[in-house]
Amino acid sequence: MDWNCKISDERLSEYLDGKLPAADASAFATHTAGCADCAQLVARVGRLVGQMHELAEIEEPPQLIQNILDATIGPRTQKEGWKNWFSWVPKLWQPRFAMGIVTVAASLTIVIHSTGITPGKIKRADLNPASLVRSANRQLHLTYARSAKFVNDLRVVYEIQSRLQPAPEPSPNSAPAPEEKQSRPDPSTPQQKSDKNPPRDRTQVHGGSMFAVLMPATLPASTIATLTRSPQ
Amino acid sequence: MEPDAQLVQQCLRGEGPAWEELVRRHAKRVYNICYRFTGNATDAQDLSQEVFLRIYRTLASYRPAYGAFPTWLTSVTRNLLVDHYRRTRHDRVTDSIDDAMPVLEEKHSQARTPDRLAEASELSAQLQRGLARLSPELREAVILRDLQGLEYNEIQSVLEVPEGTVKSRINRGRIELARVLEEMGVRPS
Repeated sequence: MDWNCKISDERLSEYLDGKLPAADASAFATHTAGCADCAQLVARVGRLVGQMHELAEIEEPPQLIQNILDATIGPRTQKEGWKNWFSWVPKLWQPRFAMGIVTVAASLTIVIHSTGITPGKIKRADLNPASLVRSANRQLHLTYARSAKFVNDLRVVYEIQSRLQPAPEPSPNSAPAPEEKQSRPDPSTPQQKSDKNPPRDRTQVHGGSMFAVLMPATLPASTIATLTRSPQ
Repeated sequence: MEPDAQLVQQCLRGEGPAWEELVRRHAKRVYNICYRFTGNATDAQDLSQEVFLRIYRTLASYRPAYGAFPTWLTSVTRNLLVDHYRRTRHDRVTDSIDDAMPVLEEKHSQARTPDRLAEASELSAQLQRGLARLSPELREAVILRDLQGLEYNEIQSVLEVPEGTVKSRINRGRIELARVLEEMGVRPS
C-alpha cells in the first residue's frame, strides 16, 4: 500500500491504540518520520489521549446512590422506638469487635475465678456497698495471710532440706588440709578427743528434738514424725 | 457466572441488598458518562437516576448471553443521553458547564500535591469544554473509548454501529478535540 497523509490521518487512532497490523504500523511510522505535518498531528493527539487516560473518574455526588435507591426500591424504613436504640448492635458483630468481647470476657472470668467469687452464690445483700468493702477487706487479709504462710513454709522446708542434705564426701585423691591433719582424732585415745570435740553423728543430728525446736507450730505433727524418722 | 449476572438474578428474586450492591458498583461509571456527555453536574445526577430507574424496570430483559452487564448498562445510558440531547436541543447552552467542578484525582497519583491536583482539575475542565464542542456522535465515541476505557467491540455493542464506524468516530473525535483545544489555547503538556 502506498502510505500517504490521508491514510495516516484515517488510521491515526488505530496506530495510537496499537490496533494496526505490524506491517501497517511500520508503514505508518515510516511515513510519519518523513512528514512534519503528520508527525505534529500524531504528537498532539497522542498527548491528548495520554492525558485523557490519566484522568481518573469523577466521584459521584454522595446523595446519588441514596436517591437512586429511594427512586427504585423506595425509602428504607427507619427503625422506630426502642429498636432504634439497639440499631448499633449489628455493627458490633464484626470479627474485631467479637474478638475484643471474647478477650474481655475471658479476662473477667480469670479475675473472678482468682478472687474466689462464685457468681451463682451472690445474693442481693452481697451487693450492698458495706458488704462489698467488708468482703474485699477480708479477701485482702486472707490473701496476705496465705502468702505469709506460704513464705514461712517455704523457709522451713529449705531449712529442713539443708539439714538433711549429707555433707559432700572428701575425695580420696585429694590431700587433706593441714588443720584436718592436726584435728584428726587419734585412734589410740578416742575418749580423750571425744570429750573436747564430740563427733558429728548423723543419727543424732536427725534427732526429733531439733525439729521440735525448729518447727513447733508450722508443720503438722505427722509431717514432723515422718521427717524425724531415722533413715534405715 | 459473573458477579453482576449473579446480582441481577438475585434482584429478580426480589433481594433488595443485591440491587443496592449493583447500584453501588456502577453508579460512578454511569455518572461519569452522563457528566462527560452533558457537562453539567445536576443534569448528570438526574440522568444517572433515570438510567437506574430504567434498568430497574427492564432488568428482567437482560440476558448475560447478549453481553456483559456493564456494556448493557452503558448502552442504556447512551440511549438515554441521546434522548436527552434531542429533547434539550433548542434550549441547550453549551457554555453553561462552569458550575462546580467535581474534585478530580489522577489515577497514578504518587505525588498528589495540590499543584498536581489543581492541574488535573484544570485539564478536566478544559477537556469538558472541548468535548462540549464536539458533535454527540464523536463526543460519545471519545468518552467511551478514552474516559471509560471501553474496547472497540464493546463500543460497537453500545452504539450498535459497525466496527468501521466506531473506529472512524473515535479517530475523528480525537483529532477534532485536539483541534478545538488548540483553538482554545490549550496545549497538552
